[in-house]
Amino acid sequence: MDEATRFLILSLEGESYALPITRLLEIMASHDIQKDKTLTEIFEGKLEFRGKWIPVLNLKKVFKIQGKPGTALLIVRSDKGTMGLLVDAVTEILDTAQKPAPFPKGVINPSYRYYSGVLRQKDNLVLLLNEEGLLP
Amino acid sequence: MTSSYLLFLLSERIFGVKLLGAIEILPWRRSRHVPLSYSYVEGLIDYRGTVYPIFNIGQRLGLSRPGPIGFTPEASDQADKKQSIILLEEKQVTFGIIVDSVVKMTKLEDPSLSPVKAQGLDAKYIRGMAYDDEQEIMILDFERLLHAG
Repeated sequence: MDEATRFLILSLEGESYALPITRLLEIMASHDIQKDKTLTEIFEGKLEFRGKWIPVLNLKKVFKIQGKPGTALLIVRSDKGTMGLLVDAVTEILDTAQKPAPFPKGVINPSYRYYSGVLRQKDNLVLLLNEEGLLP
Repeated sequence: MTSSYLLFLLSERIFGVKLLGAIEILPWRRSRHVPLSYSYVEGLIDYRGTVYPIFNIGQRLGLSRPGPIGFTPEASDQADKKQSIILLEEKQVTFGIIVDSVVKMTKLEDPSLSPVKAQGLDAKYIRGMAYDDEQEIMILDFERLLHAG
């Protein structure tokens, strides 16, 4: 169990979040995102990826963080399907033997499943995202 | 029955918390903001290898107003730096609360579970009144306080 796990560290308005790197399919610049009025406000649009249309989430809108949509696009695989995530930047690949701390109870409505744990990166706490919980 | 209580000040009122487990008192520090958390959650801190959620109980009790909705990292910076964080453990759940200042630790007679009338705050989070000499102390009910809804 002690083998190192790798996490992708991404930033949104200066704060760090993590995703298990095994869920990452690709990192690209955001382009060719098509507006789709049938999608809700948290989506920036849709994108053709490997011959299929996938929804692209504006992660700032998901978290009600103010600011322009990020310009880095992550393609992430989840049990609910493949999706694009717009973030400000990918800052680091964290190679760590630490086991993420469980996400504390009583912090967020239990029906919101955005976070799956907390990681330490130097002196900072990084929120580990639950990719399944991001899609509505 | 008497138990150990920690007394602290919040908006110039004295509150008490029954001490059941370990306790630490820290100077105020910035916590990691969690988007979409409850409005009374200040964030998370890492202390000696444990991640603690930090609750702004003054806001929960209705003693101070919530900040603006959404992501406001500056809001935490505006917090009174003289405040303290008390880290508590109750029923194996660890958490921290923000208080204006810590008064003392003392033995008090446990409050009877009579309904409390507390002016200007949400009385449902008060377990009862205890007395330290003549001083009235509101004893907090964390089970209710930390249960959202």
